[in-house]
Amino acid sequence: MISTPPDPEWKKGSAELLVLSLLEDQPRHGYDISKLIQIRSGGALQFHVTSLYPLLHRLEEEGAIQGRWVEKAEQRRRRYYSLTPLGRKVLREKQKSWKDFVAVISRLTGIENA
Amino acid sequence: MPDWNTIVRERLGPLRLTAIAESDLTEEIAQHLEDHYRELCGAGASEEQACQKTLAELDDMYALRAALERSQRMTKYDAVPVGDVRPGNFMQDLWRDLRYAVRTMRKTPVFTAVAALTLALGIGANTAVFTIINTLLLNPLPVEKISGLAALNTNLTKKAAQSGDLQAISFLNLKDFRERTRAFGSVAGHSSPMAITMIDKVEPHRVFMELVTSNYFNTLGIHPFLGRFFLPDEDAKPGAGAVVVLGYAAWQSRFGGASDILGRTIKLNNIPFTVVGIGPKGFKGLYAVFGPDLWIPSMMAEQILPAEQRKALSDRAMPLFTGIGRLGAGVSLAKSQAEMKIVAAALEKEYPDANQGQSVTVRPLTEAAYGPERQPLLFGGALLVAIAGFVLLIACSNVANLLLARAAVRRQEIAVRIALGAGRRRLIRQLLTESVLLGLLSGVLGFLFGYGGCWVLSSLRPAEYAQNLADLRIDPAVFGFAFVVAILTGLIFGIVPALRSSRMSVSEVLKEETRIVGRSRGRLSLANTLLASQVAVSLVLLVVAALFLRSLQHEYTIDPGYQTKQLALFMLYPGQAGYDRTRTEQFYKQARDRVAAAPGIASVSWASNLPLWSRKETGVVIEGQAQRKKSEAISTVVNTVDLNYFPTLGIPLLEGRDFTQEDRDISIPVAIINDTMAAEYWPKQDPLGKRLQLPGSKEFLQIVGIAKTANYQTLGEPPQPCVYIPLRQNFSDGMILYVRSARNPSTILAAVQSEIHNIDPGLPLEDFRTGTKVIDQALWWSKIGVSLLGVFGLLALGLASVGLYGIMAYSVNQRRREIGVRMAMGAGQGSVSLLVLRQGIAVVLSGVAMGVGLAFLLGRALSRFLYGVSGSDLLSIGSASLVLLVVALVACYLPARSASRVDPLVALREG
Repeated sequence: MISTPPDPEWKKGSAELLVLSLLEDQPRHGYDISKLIQIRSGGALQFHVTSLYPLLHRLEEEGAIQGRWVEKAEQRRRRYYSLTPLGRKVLREKQKSWKDFVAVISRLTGIENA
Repeated sequence: MPDWNTIVRERLGPLRLTAIAESDLTEEIAQHLEDHYRELCGAGASEEQACQKTLAELDDMYALRAALERSQRMTKYDAVPVGDVRPGNFMQDLWRDLRYAVRTMRKTPVFTAVAALTLALGIGANTAVFTIINTLLLNPLPVEKISGLAALNTNLTKKAAQSGDLQAISFLNLKDFRERTRAFGSVAGHSSPMAITMIDKVEPHRVFMELVTSNYFNTLGIHPFLGRFFLPDEDAKPGAGAVVVLGYAAWQSRFGGASDILGRTIKLNNIPFTVVGIGPKGFKGLYAVFGPDLWIPSMMAEQILPAEQRKALSDRAMPLFTGIGRLGAGVSLAKSQAEMKIVAAALEKEYPDANQGQSVTVRPLTEAAYGPERQPLLFGGALLVAIAGFVLLIACSNVANLLLARAAVRRQEIAVRIALGAGRRRLIRQLLTESVLLGLLSGVLGFLFGYGGCWVLSSLRPAEYAQNLADLRIDPAVFGFAFVVAILTGLIFGIVPALRSSRMSVSEVLKEETRIVGRSRGRLSLANTLLASQVAVSLVLLVVAALFLRSLQHEYTIDPGYQTKQLALFMLYPGQAGYDRTRTEQFYKQARDRVAAAPGIASVSWASNLPLWSRKETGVVIEGQAQRKKSEAISTVVNTVDLNYFPTLGIPLLEGRDFTQEDRDISIPVAIINDTMAAEYWPKQDPLGKRLQLPGSKEFLQIVGIAKTANYQTLGEPPQPCVYIPLRQNFSDGMILYVRSARNPSTILAAVQSEIHNIDPGLPLEDFRTGTKVIDQALWWSKIGVSLLGVFGLLALGLASVGLYGIMAYSVNQRRREIGVRMAMGAGQGSVSLLVLRQGIAVVLSGVAMGVGLAFLLGRALSRFLYGVSGSDLLSIGSASLVLLVVALVACYLPARSASRVDPLVALREG
């Protein structure tokens, strides 16, 4: 648990990284993604539908992920998103740049030693 | 459970997503919300709580809107929504129509550019013409309540002189009018602009001044830009106030707008004057066309005027001023006229010598502002407005044709809309919005064209008087005019195509495939009628231009009665440089001798009159003939000339002798008359040796010679009597040096200038011109008129030929299938070309026939403004028709050639 919710600007900057990371091991649908973010962040991060779906559509448009309608018996059809090879590459770059960024910020602010 | 699908669809509606994006997103989000709702309910929330929490997910629709990619938003949203027959909100509909119109224009850039340019030329022509009319005719004077101002002039009660001949009022009469009137709150007076010499520092310049009474500016209700106007004291006694008010334009151009101008001393005709004020911006006196550089109190007349006018303040018979009256409250012009007539009648009785046969005319100031040029100005204005209107009509009908052609392309689109329930009114409105928008776009371009046109016109003003001539004003009225014309144009050319489009039969159009079968006769026949009218109007304009061009050509061949090719004139006013009589006479002799000795000069003389600018004098008395009433007095041109005048100008002496050295003060006063005067006043007699007396002179002059009649006031004028008197017997302190050169006169200008400068560097020599330039200036208005007519004629021809080409190309395109069939059946390229050409030429010929008829009618109306050409001049009409036919032939030939190159296979497959 973290005591204060993160800065909304950080959330905006990291949204793509979060979504791509969650799709790394398996395809997921929108609700699944939003649920996982909420649970794994202990409730600190939440995405409303009005920002999540445009983000998914944009990533799809950019070719980082691919959406596919999947129909199951007795259920509404759902749209599952999976990572494309391009998406995987983008994810690697984003992970690296995030790590570098965190390292720089830590070094500069002395958070590591605190 | 709530119907999440419906809820989401309602929220997404306003975002106008493309159909696929909307349905995908609705389904996805609805599924998401449903999952969320179920989970909340499963965790123990009430249905209401769960519903509320779920809906909160949709709160921030702005984020969705902002984040959605452009590609998912609808780009082609219909201006008339499917099945939308509700009356709708006016502004909302307008907004939609406008957006749709902009998109349509962007989709067809070539069409938009051609249409907008065509209209812009028409609107530009009208804006330029309106600017001229606005400057010269509509709002010429920046004075207060112009309707309350009237101009007072002397008129002759008996028609001795030409009718409508208004004269100035003498100072003493004006004073009496001012004292005796009750109808006018105040009466002021101003002279016409007169040339004087101004010395600012060292250099002398020629400027124009007006003498005005001290209440002149107050009567007009204008305020100085700087300083003040004249005080009553400065105009109370002769010579009282050597003060001057500079015009704004003169202050700017002569003094660079110097801020320390007030209190500065300038020399006018060698007399020091103090600058006390600067006139208001844009005020150039009361004549609409030509204005003075500065104003001087009327009481300075004696000091500033040339010798022959020095008695202006004390001589009741010497007209100098135009009266300006400000009507009292509630007094009509008619009433003031009646009162002034009574005053004038009383003055005629009291001073019969000066005032016999004279009365006074009161006119609205706006009418008086044009002086004698009023008629030609009004006529020219009306002609220009009519012609510019015609050019605009051609442009409109051209664009209407383009729109009709395009309407064919859009038939399907419009039919679909009507079938889906779009109201016809709504459709018409939308189509009109498109055309009005096009009109407005053209309006902006046209305004710029008009502005450019005015700039070009301004630069055509003769440079030496540019600052005295009216400035073309681009004011809000001009802008408003262009705006209104643009909107009206949009409505005019848009209404017919819009009505036609909305009236089409939906089922028929929908049955047609994209390519329309055959040609739509109705549409082409309307287009053809428009085209034929365009051709007719262009022809009329070309004929009018040709007529005036021929008239101008004839005017140039007019023999003014003296040679101009080797002549140069120099205006010199030694009196204005402070010379006394003896010194002036010496100067005349010295200048004549020295210039005559300069190389390249054939002969030299002095004369008082400028060619084509002579004034007439009334009241010549002929010895031995019965005394004439003043109203029937003889008027003649009087010209004071020096020795050698006749050979220098090449005016033949028909009888008798020229003036000689012997004609001096002490010898018998002599005169030479022209043959017109001889024939009129000494019919069947020999005038040589007879005597006549000039007005204002007591001695009789003996006629010693008869010269051939020349033109004195205008080129090609009817013969007028003229009396020449010798300079040595009749002193004048300002004369014109006439020089006849052996070669081109422009080569001797510098030599003459330097000779004059050597005699006295203080004499201004700005006014010099060659004889051909004198003729050029006399024909300046005609030349400007002909150039404008020519430009408009060519503009009309250009527009009409573009229209012709456009409609022919369209028709060929429509008939590709038919042409293809013909060619498949064995028709040759030549016969196909001929087929198309015949169609175009038929339209052109019917237009030419109409145009020739109209040109004959119009020519008859114009004939009195033409010189040496009849209104039905066959050469003008024939050559204009020929030019038009050749251009039209080219415009038709290009589409015909492309028709003959139609590949039958391609055309049939397309069909």
